[in-house]
Amino acid sequence: MLPQVLKRNDLAAWVEALMADRTVAGPVLKETNVSDPSDEKFEWTVLEDAGDLRLDYNLTVLGPKSFLWPPRQQLVAYRLDDGPDPQPLIEHEPTVLLGVHPCDATAIATLDTAFGKDIPDPHYLARRADTAIVGLDCAAPCHESSFCLDMGSLYPDSGFDVMLTPMGEVIFVEAATDLGRALVKSAAVRPATKDDMEARQKFAEEKRSNFHYKLPYELKYLPEVLEQSYDSLVWEAIARRCFSCGSCNTTCPTCYCWDVTDDIADDLSGGVRTRRYDSCQLDTFAEVAGGENFREERSSRLRHRMFRKGKYILEQTGRVGCVGCGRCERACVAKISIKDTYVQIAGTR
Amino acid sequence: MADKPTLAFFSLACCEGCQLQVLAANEKLLPILERADIVRFREASDGDADHYNVTFLEGSIVTEHDIERAKAIRAKTDVLVALGACATIGGVNVIKNFQESDDVAEYVYGDKKDWFPHIPTRPLKAEVQVDVEIHGCPINTCEFLEVAKCLLMGKPYRQPNYPVCVPCKLAGNVCLWHKGVPCLGVVTRAGCEPFLCPSAGHKCIGCRGLVDNPNTEAAADVMAEFGLTVEEVFREFSLFQGIYDDVAKMK
Repeated sequence: MLPQVLKRNDLAAWVEALMADRTVAGPVLKETNVSDPSDEKFEWTVLEDAGDLRLDYNLTVLGPKSFLWPPRQQLVAYRLDDGPDPQPLIEHEPTVLLGVHPCDATAIATLDTAFGKDIPDPHYLARRADTAIVGLDCAAPCHESSFCLDMGSLYPDSGFDVMLTPMGEVIFVEAATDLGRALVKSAAVRPATKDDMEARQKFAEEKRSNFHYKLPYELKYLPEVLEQSYDSLVWEAIARRCFSCGSCNTTCPTCYCWDVTDDIADDLSGGVRTRRYDSCQLDTFAEVAGGENFREERSSRLRHRMFRKGKYILEQTGRVGCVGCGRCERACVAKISIKDTYVQIAGTR
Repeated sequence: MADKPTLAFFSLACCEGCQLQVLAANEKLLPILERADIVRFREASDGDADHYNVTFLEGSIVTEHDIERAKAIRAKTDVLVALGACATIGGVNVIKNFQESDDVAEYVYGDKKDWFPHIPTRPLKAEVQVDVEIHGCPINTCEFLEVAKCLLMGKPYRQPNYPVCVPCKLAGNVCLWHKGVPCLGVVTRAGCEPFLCPSAGHKCIGCRGLVDNPNTEAAADVMAEFGLTVEEVFREFSLFQGIYDDVAKMK
Protein backbone atom coordinates (compact mmCIF):
# COMPACT_ATOMS: atom_id res chain seq x y z
CA MET A 1 0.00 0.00 0.00
CA LEU A 2 1.35 3.42 -0.96
CA PRO A 3 1.95 5.93 1.84
CA GLN A 4 -1.06 7.93 2.93
CA VAL A 5 -1.74 10.91 5.12
CA LEU A 6 -4.35 11.55 7.79
CA LYS A 7 -5.34 15.03 8.88
CA ARG A 8 -4.64 15.49 12.56
CA ASN A 9 -8.26 16.62 13.00
CA ASP A 10 -9.41 13.26 11.63
CA LEU A 11 -7.32 11.25 14.07
CA ALA A 12 -9.95 11.12 16.83
CA ALA A 13 -12.57 9.77 14.40
CA TRP A 14 -10.18 6.99 13.36
CA VAL A 15 -9.45 6.13 17.00
CA GLU A 16 -13.19 6.03 17.71
CA ALA A 17 -13.73 3.74 14.73
CA LEU A 18 -11.03 1.41 16.07
CA MET A 19 -12.55 1.54 19.56
CA ALA A 20 -15.90 0.41 18.18
CA ASP A 21 -14.82 -3.19 17.77
CA ARG A 22 -11.62 -3.61 19.78
CA THR A 23 -9.80 -2.51 22.88
CA VAL A 24 -7.57 0.43 22.05
CA ALA A 25 -4.72 1.30 24.42
CA GLY A 26 -2.52 4.34 24.14
CA PRO A 27 -0.60 6.97 26.05
CA VAL A 28 -2.64 9.39 28.18
CA LEU A 29 -1.82 12.03 30.77
CA LYS A 30 -1.30 10.38 34.17
CA GLU A 31 -0.45 13.33 36.37
CA THR A 32 0.97 16.83 36.34
CA ASN A 33 3.62 18.20 38.65
CA VAL A 34 1.85 20.54 41.09
CA SER A 35 4.71 23.06 41.13
CA ASP A 36 5.49 22.80 37.40
CA PRO A 37 2.41 22.26 35.19
CA SER A 38 4.62 21.74 32.14
CA ASP A 39 6.04 18.60 33.80
CA GLU A 40 3.53 16.01 32.64
CA LYS A 41 3.73 12.27 33.31
CA PHE A 42 2.06 9.82 30.96
CA GLU A 43 0.93 6.24 31.18
CA TRP A 44 -0.25 3.51 28.82
CA THR A 45 -3.87 2.68 29.47
CA VAL A 46 -7.02 1.44 27.74
CA LEU A 47 -8.63 4.46 26.07
CA GLU A 48 -12.09 5.37 27.24
CA ASP A 49 -12.26 8.55 25.21
CA ALA A 50 -10.42 8.99 21.90
CA GLY A 51 -9.66 12.56 22.94
CA ASP A 52 -7.51 11.34 25.85
CA LEU A 53 -4.85 10.02 23.48
CA ARG A 54 -1.66 12.09 23.77
CA LEU A 55 0.62 11.52 20.82
CA ASP A 56 2.98 14.16 22.25
CA TYR A 57 3.75 11.87 25.19
CA ASN A 58 7.19 11.03 26.45
CA LEU A 59 8.43 7.89 28.11
CA THR A 60 6.07 6.12 30.52
CA VAL A 61 7.03 4.14 33.65
CA LEU A 62 5.68 0.92 32.15
CA GLY A 63 5.47 0.58 28.42
CA PRO A 64 2.96 -0.97 26.03
CA LYS A 65 4.59 -4.29 26.97
CA SER A 66 2.16 -4.56 29.86
CA PHE A 67 -0.72 -5.21 27.44
CA LEU A 68 1.06 -8.18 25.89
CA TRP A 69 2.76 -9.37 29.05
CA PRO A 70 0.93 -7.99 32.07
CA PRO A 71 2.77 -7.33 35.36
CA ARG A 72 0.51 -9.97 36.93
CA GLN A 73 -1.01 -12.72 34.85
CA GLN A 74 -3.10 -15.76 35.75
CA LEU A 75 -1.80 -18.90 34.06
CA VAL A 76 -3.91 -21.86 35.14
CA ALA A 77 -6.83 -22.50 37.48
CA TYR A 78 -7.13 -25.76 39.38
CA ARG A 79 -9.26 -27.40 42.05
CA LEU A 80 -8.10 -28.64 45.44
CA ASP A 81 -11.30 -30.19 46.74
CA ASP A 82 -11.79 -32.58 43.83
CA GLY A 83 -9.44 -33.68 41.03
CA PRO A 84 -7.07 -30.90 40.02
CA ASP A 85 -8.89 -30.34 36.69
CA PRO A 86 -6.39 -27.74 35.50
CA GLN A 87 -7.83 -25.09 33.20
CA PRO A 88 -5.39 -22.95 31.25
CA LEU A 89 -6.25 -19.27 31.47
CA ILE A 90 -5.31 -17.83 28.12
CA GLU A 91 -7.07 -14.53 27.81
CA HIS A 92 -6.93 -12.26 24.81
CA GLU A 93 -9.16 -9.85 22.97
CA PRO A 94 -8.70 -7.82 19.80
CA THR A 95 -6.47 -4.96 20.86
CA VAL A 96 -4.70 -2.05 19.22
CA LEU A 97 -1.68 -0.47 20.85
CA LEU A 98 -1.74 3.02 19.45
CA GLY A 99 1.30 5.29 19.56
CA VAL A 100 4.10 2.80 20.19
CA HIS A 101 7.46 4.56 19.93
CA PRO A 102 10.22 2.92 17.86
CA CYS A 103 12.10 1.77 20.99
CA ASP A 104 9.04 -0.06 22.31
CA ALA A 105 8.23 -1.54 18.90
CA THR A 106 11.79 -2.88 18.78
CA ALA A 107 11.35 -4.26 22.30
CA ILE A 108 8.16 -6.03 21.26
CA ALA A 109 10.06 -7.66 18.41
CA THR A 110 12.57 -8.94 20.99
CA LEU A 111 9.76 -10.25 23.21
CA ASP A 112 8.15 -11.95 20.20
CA THR A 113 11.35 -13.89 19.62
CA ALA A 114 12.02 -14.62 23.28
CA PHE A 115 8.50 -15.87 24.05
CA GLY A 116 8.31 -17.78 20.78
CA LYS A 117 11.51 -19.79 21.02
CA ASP A 118 12.18 -23.09 22.84
CA ILE A 119 8.88 -23.71 24.63
CA PRO A 120 6.53 -21.10 23.12
CA ASP A 121 4.60 -19.13 25.74
CA PRO A 122 0.89 -19.52 24.91
CA HIS A 123 -0.19 -16.69 27.22
CA TYR A 124 2.01 -14.12 25.48
CA LEU A 125 1.57 -15.46 21.97
CA ALA A 126 -2.26 -15.53 22.18
CA ARG A 127 -2.36 -11.88 23.19
CA ARG A 128 0.28 -10.97 20.66
CA ALA A 129 -1.62 -12.63 17.81
CA ASP A 130 -4.70 -10.61 18.74
CA THR A 131 -2.86 -7.29 19.03
CA ALA A 132 -2.15 -4.75 16.33
CA ILE A 133 0.62 -2.25 16.86
CA VAL A 134 0.42 1.28 15.54
CA GLY A 135 3.82 2.88 15.85
CA LEU A 136 4.56 6.55 16.30
CA ASP A 137 7.85 7.90 15.03
CA CYS A 138 10.00 10.19 17.19
CA ALA A 139 11.31 13.51 15.95
CA ALA A 140 13.67 14.06 18.87
CA PRO A 141 15.02 12.19 21.91
CA CYS A 142 12.54 12.12 24.78
CA HIS A 143 15.17 12.31 27.50
CA GLU A 144 18.92 12.55 28.01
CA SER A 145 18.94 8.97 29.33
CA SER A 146 17.84 7.53 26.00
CA PHE A 147 20.34 6.11 23.53
CA CYS A 148 18.03 4.43 21.06
CA LEU A 149 20.16 5.50 18.08
CA ASP A 150 23.11 3.53 19.50
CA MET A 151 21.01 0.48 20.24
CA GLY A 152 19.55 0.32 16.75
CA SER A 153 15.98 0.80 17.90
CA LEU A 154 15.33 4.21 16.40
CA TYR A 155 14.58 2.68 12.99
CA PRO A 156 12.70 -0.55 13.74
CA ASP A 157 12.19 -3.09 10.96
CA SER A 158 9.46 -5.00 12.77
CA GLY A 159 7.25 -4.92 15.86
CA PHE A 160 4.55 -2.72 14.26
CA ASP A 161 1.69 -2.97 11.77
CA VAL A 162 1.33 0.72 10.98
CA MET A 163 3.81 3.54 11.50
CA LEU A 164 2.58 7.07 12.05
CA THR A 165 4.81 10.06 11.47
CA PRO A 166 3.42 13.29 12.90
CA MET A 167 4.18 16.19 10.56
CA GLY A 168 2.40 19.33 11.73
CA GLU A 169 -1.23 19.29 10.62
CA VAL A 170 -1.02 15.90 8.98
CA ILE A 171 0.12 12.46 10.04
CA PHE A 172 1.99 10.31 7.57
CA VAL A 173 0.54 6.78 7.63
CA GLU A 174 2.49 3.73 6.46
CA ALA A 175 0.97 0.27 6.79
CA ALA A 176 3.58 -2.46 7.17
CA THR A 177 1.39 -5.59 7.38
CA ASP A 178 -1.97 -6.90 6.18
CA LEU A 179 -3.36 -6.27 9.65
CA GLY A 180 -2.09 -2.69 9.42
CA ARG A 181 -3.70 -2.22 6.01
CA ALA A 182 -7.01 -3.42 7.45
CA LEU A 183 -6.78 -0.95 10.32
CA VAL A 184 -6.06 2.00 8.07
CA LYS A 185 -9.25 1.31 6.07
CA SER A 186 -11.33 2.98 8.77
CA ALA A 187 -9.22 6.14 8.70
CA ALA A 188 -10.04 9.15 6.54
CA VAL A 189 -6.69 8.95 4.77
CA ARG A 190 -5.77 10.25 1.38
CA PRO A 191 -2.80 9.22 -0.79
CA ALA A 192 0.38 11.10 0.03
CA THR A 193 1.25 13.89 -2.42
CA LYS A 194 4.66 15.05 -3.53
CA ASP A 195 4.48 17.78 -0.87
CA ASP A 196 3.69 15.18 1.77
CA MET A 197 6.66 13.12 0.65
CA GLU A 198 8.89 16.15 0.92
CA ALA A 199 7.58 16.86 4.42
CA ARG A 200 8.24 13.22 5.29
CA GLN A 201 11.78 13.57 3.98
CA LYS A 202 12.28 16.74 6.00
CA PHE A 203 11.05 14.94 9.13
CA ALA A 204 13.54 12.14 8.51
CA GLU A 205 16.41 14.60 8.10
CA GLU A 206 15.49 16.53 11.23
CA LYS A 207 15.06 13.31 13.15
CA ARG A 208 18.50 12.15 12.12
CA SER A 209 20.10 15.44 13.15
CA ASN A 210 18.30 15.52 16.52
CA PHE A 211 19.65 12.16 17.69
CA HIS A 212 23.30 11.69 18.53
CA TYR A 213 25.43 8.65 19.21
CA LYS A 214 26.37 8.37 22.86
CA LEU A 215 28.49 5.22 22.98
CA PRO A 216 32.11 5.36 21.81
CA TYR A 217 31.62 2.19 19.73
CA GLU A 218 29.05 0.57 17.46
CA LEU A 219 26.39 -1.82 18.79
CA LYS A 220 28.05 -4.81 17.12
CA TYR A 221 31.05 -4.40 19.44
CA LEU A 222 28.98 -4.29 22.65
CA PRO A 223 29.10 -8.06 23.37
CA GLU A 224 32.88 -7.98 23.00
CA VAL A 225 33.25 -4.88 25.16
CA LEU A 226 31.15 -6.57 27.84
CA GLU A 227 33.08 -9.81 27.65
CA GLN A 228 36.36 -8.03 28.22
CA SER A 229 34.92 -6.20 31.23
CA TYR A 230 33.76 -9.32 33.07
CA ASP A 231 36.41 -9.10 35.79
CA SER A 232 36.47 -5.30 35.91
CA LEU A 233 36.23 -3.54 39.25
CA VAL A 234 33.58 -1.33 37.71
CA TRP A 235 30.77 -3.71 38.71
CA GLU A 236 31.53 -3.52 42.38
CA ALA A 237 31.94 0.23 42.21
CA ILE A 238 28.53 0.75 40.60
CA ALA A 239 26.83 -1.86 42.80
CA ARG A 240 27.80 0.07 45.90
CA ARG A 241 24.92 2.41 45.07
CA CYS A 242 22.52 -0.28 43.94
CA PHE A 243 19.52 -1.06 46.17
CA SER A 244 18.72 -4.26 44.27
CA CYS A 245 15.17 -2.91 44.12
CA GLY A 246 14.56 -4.31 40.64
CA SER A 247 13.07 -1.11 39.20
CA CYS A 248 15.46 -1.36 36.22
CA ASN A 249 13.90 -4.73 35.36
CA THR A 250 10.28 -4.05 36.22
CA THR A 251 10.25 -1.01 33.92
CA CYS A 252 12.36 -2.59 31.13
CA PRO A 253 10.47 -3.14 27.86
CA THR A 254 12.42 -6.31 27.04
CA CYS A 255 12.67 -8.04 30.43
CA TYR A 256 10.71 -11.28 30.40
CA CYS A 257 11.59 -13.12 33.61
CA TRP A 258 8.76 -13.94 35.97
CA ASP A 259 8.09 -15.50 39.34
CA VAL A 260 5.20 -17.90 39.88
CA THR A 261 2.97 -18.12 42.95
CA ASP A 262 -0.17 -20.04 43.84
CA ASP A 263 -3.13 -17.90 44.83
CA ILE A 264 -5.42 -20.15 46.85
CA ALA A 265 -9.13 -19.35 47.19
CA ASP A 266 -10.21 -18.30 50.68
CA ASP A 267 -12.35 -21.43 51.03
CA LEU A 268 -9.40 -23.60 49.91
CA SER A 269 -11.55 -25.08 47.12
CA GLY A 270 -9.02 -24.30 44.42
CA GLY A 271 -6.37 -21.93 43.26
CA VAL A 272 -4.85 -19.99 40.43
CA ARG A 273 -1.22 -20.19 39.45
CA THR A 274 -0.11 -16.63 38.77
CA ARG A 275 3.06 -15.04 37.47
CA ARG A 276 4.41 -11.55 37.99
CA TYR A 277 7.44 -9.69 36.70
CA ASP A 278 10.58 -10.88 38.44
CA SER A 279 13.93 -9.13 38.55
CA CYS A 280 17.44 -10.54 38.35
CA GLN A 281 18.51 -7.76 40.72
CA LEU A 282 16.48 -9.11 43.62
CA ASP A 283 18.37 -10.91 46.35
CA THR A 284 16.55 -14.20 45.89
CA PHE A 285 16.37 -14.32 42.08
CA ALA A 286 19.09 -16.94 41.69
CA GLU A 287 18.31 -18.78 44.92
CA VAL A 288 17.52 -22.45 44.44
CA ALA A 289 16.24 -25.29 46.60
CA GLY A 290 18.60 -25.89 49.48
CA GLY A 291 19.31 -22.19 49.84
CA GLU A 292 22.23 -21.93 47.43
CA ASN A 293 22.31 -18.55 45.67
CA PHE A 294 24.25 -18.34 42.43
CA ARG A 295 24.37 -14.55 42.40
CA GLU A 296 24.54 -13.63 46.05
CA GLU A 297 26.63 -10.51 45.49
CA ARG A 298 24.89 -7.32 44.46
CA SER A 299 27.71 -6.63 41.97
CA SER A 300 27.32 -10.00 40.25
CA ARG A 301 23.60 -9.37 39.84
CA LEU A 302 24.20 -5.91 38.44
CA ARG A 303 26.80 -7.25 36.01
CA HIS A 304 24.41 -9.99 34.99
CA ARG A 305 21.75 -7.46 33.99
CA MET A 306 24.24 -5.43 31.94
CA PHE A 307 25.34 -8.65 30.22
CA ARG A 308 21.76 -9.80 29.62
CA LYS A 309 20.87 -6.49 28.02
CA GLY A 310 24.01 -6.09 25.92
CA LYS A 311 25.08 -9.65 25.12
CA TYR A 312 23.06 -12.68 26.26
CA ILE A 313 19.64 -11.74 24.85
CA LEU A 314 21.25 -10.63 21.60
CA GLU A 315 23.03 -13.97 21.34
CA GLN A 316 19.93 -15.98 22.26
CA THR A 317 17.31 -14.19 20.16
CA GLY A 318 19.28 -12.28 17.55
CA ARG A 319 17.45 -9.22 18.83
CA VAL A 320 18.76 -6.41 21.05
CA GLY A 321 18.19 -6.91 24.77
CA CYS A 322 18.42 -3.19 25.43
CA VAL A 323 16.57 -0.76 23.17
CA GLY A 324 18.13 2.31 24.79
CA CYS A 325 14.84 3.78 25.97
CA GLY A 326 16.36 4.95 29.26
CA ARG A 327 13.49 3.73 31.46
CA CYS A 328 15.84 1.89 33.82
CA GLU A 329 18.04 4.93 34.38
CA ARG A 330 15.04 7.11 35.07
CA ALA A 331 13.50 4.54 37.42
CA CYS A 332 16.75 4.26 39.38
CA VAL A 333 16.75 6.30 42.56
CA ALA A 334 20.54 5.85 42.74
CA LYS A 335 20.84 7.10 39.12
CA ILE A 336 22.64 4.02 37.84
CA SER A 337 22.76 4.35 34.06
CA ILE A 338 23.09 1.45 31.62
CA LYS A 339 24.24 3.94 28.97
CA ASP A 340 26.97 5.40 31.19
CA THR A 341 27.99 1.89 32.21
CA TYR A 342 28.39 0.84 28.59
CA VAL A 343 30.52 3.95 28.06
CA GLN A 344 32.53 3.33 31.22
CA ILE A 345 33.44 -0.29 30.48
CA ALA A 346 34.84 0.72 27.10
CA GLY A 347 37.48 2.67 28.98
CA THR A 348 38.32 0.05 31.59
CA ARG A 349 39.19 -2.93 29.44
CA MET B 1 -11.89 -37.01 62.24
CA ALA B 2 -9.35 -35.33 64.41
CA ASP B 3 -10.27 -32.26 66.39
CA LYS B 4 -9.95 -28.95 64.62
CA PRO B 5 -6.68 -27.10 65.21
CA THR B 6 -6.90 -24.41 67.87
CA LEU B 7 -5.96 -20.78 67.33
CA ALA B 8 -5.18 -18.15 69.94
CA PHE B 9 -4.53 -14.40 69.82
CA PHE B 10 -2.54 -12.48 72.43
CA SER B 11 -1.22 -8.94 72.77
CA LEU B 12 1.90 -7.48 74.31
CA ALA B 13 2.79 -3.77 74.06
CA CYS B 14 0.79 -2.43 71.13
CA CYS B 15 -2.45 -0.77 70.07
CA GLU B 16 -4.15 -4.09 69.21
CA GLY B 17 -4.88 -2.69 65.77
CA CYS B 18 -3.51 -5.85 64.13
CA GLN B 19 -6.20 -7.92 65.84
CA LEU B 20 -8.76 -5.51 64.41
CA GLN B 21 -7.27 -6.12 60.97
CA VAL B 22 -7.95 -9.83 61.51
CA LEU B 23 -11.57 -9.09 62.41
CA ALA B 24 -11.76 -6.79 59.37
CA ALA B 25 -11.57 -9.93 57.22
CA ASN B 26 -15.27 -10.35 58.10
CA GLU B 27 -16.88 -13.17 56.12
CA LYS B 28 -13.50 -14.23 54.76
CA LEU B 29 -12.79 -15.60 58.25
CA LEU B 30 -15.64 -18.08 57.92
CA PRO B 31 -13.77 -20.71 55.87
CA ILE B 32 -10.99 -20.58 58.47
CA LEU B 33 -13.47 -20.94 61.33
CA GLU B 34 -14.92 -24.01 59.63
CA ARG B 35 -11.50 -25.62 59.82
CA ALA B 36 -10.13 -24.26 63.11
CA ASP B 37 -11.37 -23.18 66.52
CA ILE B 38 -10.40 -19.84 68.00
CA VAL B 39 -9.98 -20.59 71.69
CA ARG B 40 -8.55 -17.27 72.83
CA PHE B 41 -9.19 -13.87 71.26
CA ARG B 42 -9.74 -11.02 73.68
CA GLU B 43 -10.91 -8.59 71.01
CA ALA B 44 -13.69 -10.95 69.94
CA SER B 45 -14.57 -13.42 72.71
CA ASP B 46 -13.67 -14.77 76.16
CA GLY B 47 -12.43 -18.27 76.96
CA ASP B 48 -9.03 -19.97 76.91
CA ALA B 49 -7.33 -23.38 76.51
CA ASP B 50 -4.26 -25.21 77.82
CA HIS B 51 -2.65 -25.64 74.43
CA TYR B 52 -2.70 -23.78 71.13
CA ASN B 53 -1.80 -25.22 67.75
CA VAL B 54 -1.26 -21.73 66.35
CA THR B 55 -0.82 -18.54 68.34
CA PHE B 56 -0.89 -15.10 66.77
CA LEU B 57 1.04 -12.84 69.13
CA GLU B 58 1.05 -9.10 68.52
CA GLY B 59 2.93 -6.38 70.35
CA SER B 60 6.53 -5.88 71.38
CA ILE B 61 8.40 -6.75 74.54
CA VAL B 62 8.95 -3.69 76.75
CA THR B 63 9.00 -5.17 80.30
CA GLU B 64 10.45 -8.21 82.07
CA HIS B 65 6.86 -9.32 82.54
CA ASP B 66 6.39 -9.33 78.76
CA ILE B 67 9.31 -11.75 78.47
CA GLU B 68 7.67 -14.10 80.97
CA ARG B 69 4.33 -13.90 79.16
CA ALA B 70 5.90 -14.49 75.75
CA LYS B 71 7.76 -17.53 77.09
CA ALA B 72 4.64 -18.90 78.78
CA ILE B 73 2.62 -18.50 75.56
CA ARG B 74 5.44 -20.05 73.54
CA ALA B 75 5.47 -23.06 75.86
CA LYS B 76 1.77 -23.72 75.16
CA THR B 77 2.06 -23.15 71.39
CA ASP B 78 3.02 -25.34 68.43
CA VAL B 79 3.37 -22.60 65.79
CA LEU B 80 4.01 -19.04 66.94
CA VAL B 81 3.11 -16.26 64.50
CA ALA B 82 4.46 -12.76 65.21
CA LEU B 83 1.59 -10.49 64.24
CA GLY B 84 2.44 -6.99 63.08
CA ALA B 85 5.38 -4.58 63.23
CA CYS B 86 5.52 -4.40 67.05
CA ALA B 87 5.94 -8.17 67.23
CA THR B 88 8.26 -8.60 64.22
CA ILE B 89 10.56 -5.55 64.49
CA GLY B 90 9.55 -3.82 67.71
CA GLY B 91 7.45 -1.29 65.81
CA VAL B 92 7.29 2.37 66.77
CA ASN B 93 7.97 1.30 70.36
CA VAL B 94 11.67 1.08 69.45
CA ILE B 95 11.81 4.89 69.30
CA LYS B 96 12.20 4.90 73.09
CA ASN B 97 15.44 2.93 72.78
CA PHE B 98 17.08 6.05 71.41
CA GLN B 99 16.05 8.19 74.37
CA GLU B 100 17.06 8.20 78.04
CA SER B 101 15.21 5.36 79.76
CA ASP B 102 14.31 7.50 82.77
CA ASP B 103 13.07 10.42 80.68
CA VAL B 104 10.76 8.11 78.77
CA ALA B 105 9.27 6.61 81.94
CA GLU B 106 8.80 10.03 83.48
CA TYR B 107 7.14 11.37 80.33
CA VAL B 108 4.56 8.59 80.44
CA TYR B 109 4.10 7.84 84.14
CA GLY B 110 5.29 11.04 85.86
CA ASP B 111 6.06 10.55 89.56
CA LYS B 112 4.69 6.97 89.41
CA LYS B 113 7.43 5.93 87.03
CA ASP B 114 8.98 3.54 89.54
CA TRP B 115 5.81 1.50 89.59
CA PHE B 116 6.34 0.55 85.95
CA PRO B 117 9.84 -0.86 85.44
CA HIS B 118 10.63 -1.21 81.74
CA ILE B 119 13.38 -2.50 79.48
CA PRO B 120 14.47 -1.49 75.96
CA THR B 121 11.91 -2.50 73.31
CA ARG B 122 12.59 -5.73 71.45
CA PRO B 123 10.70 -7.88 68.98
CA LEU B 124 9.40 -11.33 69.94
CA LYS B 125 12.19 -13.20 68.22
CA ALA B 126 14.70 -11.61 70.61
CA GLU B 127 13.23 -13.74 73.40
CA VAL B 128 11.31 -16.68 71.92
CA GLN B 129 11.34 -18.76 68.75
CA VAL B 130 9.07 -17.23 66.12
CA ASP B 131 7.90 -19.53 63.32
CA VAL B 132 6.10 -17.11 60.99
CA GLU B 133 6.21 -13.32 60.68
CA ILE B 134 3.40 -11.10 59.44
CA HIS B 135 4.85 -7.62 59.05
CA GLY B 136 3.18 -4.24 58.82
CA CYS B 137 1.65 -1.48 60.89
CA PRO B 138 -1.02 -2.59 60.91
CA ILE B 139 -0.83 -6.00 59.25
CA ASN B 140 -2.89 -6.29 56.11
CA THR B 141 -5.85 -8.60 56.14
CA CYS B 142 -4.88 -10.25 52.85
CA GLU B 143 -1.55 -11.40 54.22
CA PHE B 144 -3.17 -12.72 57.41
CA LEU B 145 -5.55 -14.81 55.30
CA GLU B 146 -2.64 -15.99 53.14
CA VAL B 147 -0.71 -17.15 56.22
CA ALA B 148 -3.83 -18.80 57.67
CA LYS B 149 -4.38 -20.68 54.40
CA CYS B 150 -0.76 -21.84 54.32
CA LEU B 151 -1.00 -23.08 57.91
CA LEU B 152 -4.23 -24.94 57.19
CA MET B 153 -2.69 -26.52 54.10
CA GLY B 154 0.52 -27.35 55.93
CA LYS B 155 2.77 -25.46 53.55
CA PRO B 156 5.34 -22.81 54.43
CA TYR B 157 4.45 -19.16 54.02
CA ARG B 158 6.95 -17.48 51.73
CA GLN B 159 7.12 -13.86 52.83
CA PRO B 160 8.22 -11.36 50.19
CA ASN B 161 11.93 -10.61 50.31
CA TYR B 162 12.11 -7.76 47.84
CA PRO B 163 11.62 -4.03 48.26
CA VAL B 164 8.41 -2.04 47.95
CA CYS B 165 9.74 -0.69 44.60
CA VAL B 166 8.66 -3.93 42.91
CA PRO B 167 4.88 -3.66 43.49
CA CYS B 168 5.15 0.12 43.18
CA LYS B 169 6.56 -0.10 39.64
CA LEU B 170 4.11 -2.86 38.75
CA ALA B 171 1.36 -0.42 39.77
CA GLY B 172 2.82 2.03 37.22
CA ASN B 173 3.48 4.68 39.87
CA VAL B 174 5.74 7.63 39.14
CA CYS B 175 8.57 7.33 41.68
CA LEU B 176 8.03 9.59 44.69
CA TRP B 177 11.76 10.38 44.75
CA HIS B 178 11.25 12.02 41.36
CA LYS B 179 8.56 14.17 42.95
CA GLY B 180 10.96 15.33 45.65
CA VAL B 181 9.79 12.88 48.31
CA PRO B 182 12.40 10.51 49.81
CA CYS B 183 10.63 7.18 50.20
CA LEU B 184 11.88 4.19 52.20
CA GLY B 185 10.40 1.77 49.67
CA VAL B 186 13.87 1.14 48.24
CA VAL B 187 14.93 -0.89 51.28
CA THR B 188 11.60 -1.84 52.86
CA ARG B 189 10.16 -5.33 52.58
CA ALA B 190 7.22 -5.50 50.18
CA GLY B 191 4.00 -7.37 50.84
CA CYS B 192 1.54 -4.53 51.35
CA GLU B 193 -1.65 -5.73 49.69
CA PRO B 194 -3.60 -3.88 48.46
CA PHE B 195 -0.72 -1.61 47.58
CA LEU B 196 -1.74 1.64 49.21
CA CYS B 197 0.78 4.23 50.40
CA PRO B 198 2.88 5.24 47.36
CA SER B 199 -0.10 4.71 45.04
CA ALA B 200 -1.89 7.35 47.10
CA GLY B 201 1.13 9.66 46.96
CA HIS B 202 2.31 8.86 50.49
CA LYS B 203 5.95 7.86 50.98
CA CYS B 204 6.76 4.43 52.34
CA ILE B 205 7.67 4.85 56.02
CA GLY B 206 9.10 1.36 56.32
CA CYS B 207 6.49 -0.31 58.55
CA ARG B 208 7.27 -3.77 57.19
CA GLY B 209 10.92 -3.54 58.15
CA LEU B 210 13.99 -3.95 55.98
CA VAL B 211 14.45 -6.59 53.29
CA ASP B 212 16.91 -9.29 54.28
CA ASN B 213 19.92 -7.76 52.59
CA PRO B 214 19.23 -4.01 52.35
CA ASN B 215 21.71 -1.49 51.01
CA THR B 216 21.04 0.99 53.81
CA GLU B 217 24.38 2.70 53.20
CA ALA B 218 23.38 3.50 49.64
CA ALA B 219 19.99 4.66 50.88
CA ALA B 220 21.60 7.00 53.40
CA ASP B 221 24.03 8.30 50.72
CA VAL B 222 21.28 8.89 48.19
CA MET B 223 19.14 10.63 50.81
CA ALA B 224 22.11 12.84 51.73
CA GLU B 225 22.64 13.71 48.04
CA PHE B 226 18.96 14.50 48.01
CA GLY B 227 19.60 17.14 50.65
CA LEU B 228 18.67 15.40 53.88
CA THR B 229 20.90 15.83 56.93
CA VAL B 230 22.25 12.78 58.75
CA GLU B 231 19.75 13.46 61.52
CA GLU B 232 16.85 13.59 59.08
CA VAL B 233 17.95 10.35 57.43
CA PHE B 234 18.06 8.65 60.82
CA ARG B 235 14.63 10.03 61.69
CA GLU B 236 13.14 8.63 58.47
CA PHE B 237 14.54 5.18 59.21
CA SER B 238 14.03 5.05 62.98
CA LEU B 239 10.25 5.49 62.96
CA PHE B 240 9.93 1.77 62.30
CA GLN B 241 13.36 0.34 61.61
CA GLY B 242 15.42 1.38 64.63
CA ILE B 243 15.81 -2.23 65.76
CA TYR B 244 18.20 -3.00 62.89
CA ASP B 245 21.92 -2.51 63.55
CA ASP B 246 22.25 -0.90 60.10
CA VAL B 247 19.85 1.83 61.21
CA ALA B 248 20.94 2.14 64.85
CA LYS B 249 24.49 2.89 63.76
CA MET B 250 23.33 5.87 61.68
CA LYS B 251 22.62 7.74 64.94
